[in-house]
Amino acid sequence: MPELPEHLKKPFINLLLAAADDKLFLGHRNSEWTGLGPILEEDIAFSALAQDEMAHASALYELAGAIDGRSADQLAFGRAPGEYRCAAIVEVPDEFDWATAMARRLFCNHFDVLRLTRLSMSVYKPLADLARRLAAEQQAHVQHVDDWTMRLGSGTPESHRRIQQAIEALARIAPQLFEPVERQDQLVAAGLYPGDDLEMYDAWRAAVEHVLGRGHLSARLDDFNPEERGGRRGVHTVHLAPMLDEMCEVYRLEPDAAW
Amino acid sequence: MSGSANVGVHVDHEQPEDPALLAEFQAKIDAGQLIEADDWMPAAYRKGMLMMAEHHANSEIIGALPEGEWITRAPSLRRKLALTAKVQDEVGHGQMLYRVSQDLGKTRDAMLRDLITGKTKYHNCFNYPAPTWGDIAMIQWLIDGAAIMNQKTLADGGYGPYVRTMRRINMEEAFHFKSGEDMVLTLMSGTERQKQLAQDAFDRWWGPSLMFFGPPDKPNAHQLPPMRWRMKTVTNDELRQRFVDRFVPAALDLGLKIHVVEKDERGYVTSRRPDEKIALNKATGHWEFTQPDWDEFFRVIRGNGPCNAKRLALRRLSYEQGRWVRQAVLSGSTALPPAA
Repeated sequence: MPELPEHLKKPFINLLLAAADDKLFLGHRNSEWTGLGPILEEDIAFSALAQDEMAHASALYELAGAIDGRSADQLAFGRAPGEYRCAAIVEVPDEFDWATAMARRLFCNHFDVLRLTRLSMSVYKPLADLARRLAAEQQAHVQHVDDWTMRLGSGTPESHRRIQQAIEALARIAPQLFEPVERQDQLVAAGLYPGDDLEMYDAWRAAVEHVLGRGHLSARLDDFNPEERGGRRGVHTVHLAPMLDEMCEVYRLEPDAAW
Repeated sequence: MSGSANVGVHVDHEQPEDPALLAEFQAKIDAGQLIEADDWMPAAYRKGMLMMAEHHANSEIIGALPEGEWITRAPSLRRKLALTAKVQDEVGHGQMLYRVSQDLGKTRDAMLRDLITGKTKYHNCFNYPAPTWGDIAMIQWLIDGAAIMNQKTLADGGYGPYVRTMRRINMEEAFHFKSGEDMVLTLMSGTERQKQLAQDAFDRWWGPSLMFFGPPDKPNAHQLPPMRWRMKTVTNDELRQRFVDRFVPAALDLGLKIHVVEKDERGYVTSRRPDEKIALNKATGHWEFTQPDWDEFFRVIRGNGPCNAKRLALRRLSYEQGRWVRQAVLSGSTALPPAA
């Protein structure tokens, strides 16, 4: 492992955890659809996406764990809610509504591909190598959700109404994806997370609005306020703790055992 | 996951068919040739194969439900990924088998509607509960193990599209079985609590595993149309004995105890005693065992099992929740083109 300056270790781990936690819970929420999707072929595709996200999370946990000595499973299952760094949008349940599931992926996938692109230029080589590989897969996710958004937006009046409503509901919390982790500015300056948050935000908004426009849809995306404390600094929605209780139900029976 | 051994294909053999065509058909079967979707086939054969493939497809997508419930609770990243992939495979098997059934003349929507309205059935074993992680291990080990045993024989059948689908499914099932074996082995090499979890789940699933192959054979099983037409190649009791011969010694090796149990209406064990019949019969080379409770089998198959209502309700919810999505993407004529 390359050497990290001591004072950047914790912020860097938090940056990795933010990416991993987003992916773990997005995959977790999406896996709730496995076996219950609206069309068999899409059920299968959606499970593949969920697996990709969870596998990405696992690889990022491995990287973080290599720095602070914890296993990927300990990081995924063994933290208190306040130690997670995911954004609000991956925490909320989709209430078994396909429009919400898709709208969530639209915001998250476009964000993720931009984040992975930045990470692929990190001076921390193991991260850059990993991010390049994940970004290629994430590009396929973007294509999948773009197609679905457009098809629902231009499908029937009902599908248009449902996806529009879901987009509007999630657009309120989507910009919180951009909340920086603690001391992110120092990570940027050190080349560990190169790039500019504002530019990334503009690129994200333009990409999302382009897809929405093609599907006869729209969303009001507010400028993000980096001062507002949320998931990236451990302040979570009411949905995280119950989701963790469910996810860790078996793990907590014997946290030290092999399962 | 699930084979269709207990579908109980009742083929009406009395329906008149052109004797020359029928003789040609039987000669093809007897010569070991495969029947293809566009070949001539007796109406009763078409009906029987459709019933068998549709039942199998239904079983795959209902079988996804008990395990699907545990994806969000799987205790490690590796198990979480493996279980998602496994349940995804089952849905994929359902998709392939519905395609086989569609070619035999029934639309997918009609099949899904018949399933959720109870007009058609699915494999009985999915009407039992999976209340712990131990059950997930046992389903993948015992039920998938039983399914492979059954489906290997179905892959020797006579209907080409179904046979090719079985071969493909069997390759995937082999992974599921390995994963199940690994899960059981991990629990049985773990803490006392993990061992107990495995034993309790084994007690719940041993009976349904024996029932998996369907009710005891009729005396003339080999002469009935399903076997004469190679829709099935081995009888229920023959398959059951193969399963017992494979799994009894494996369970004993792992330290599991084989019990005869009584269950309440929720499918939970209320009492258990050792199955004293368990022994290798040196003369026959086969393991002896106590037959499962066949009254319970018929009660559950008639719809009065612990989870029949729950499983169908969830499938119905999925069907209804997905209706607007299917209308939006499958009825292209109402759609607007994407905006420029």
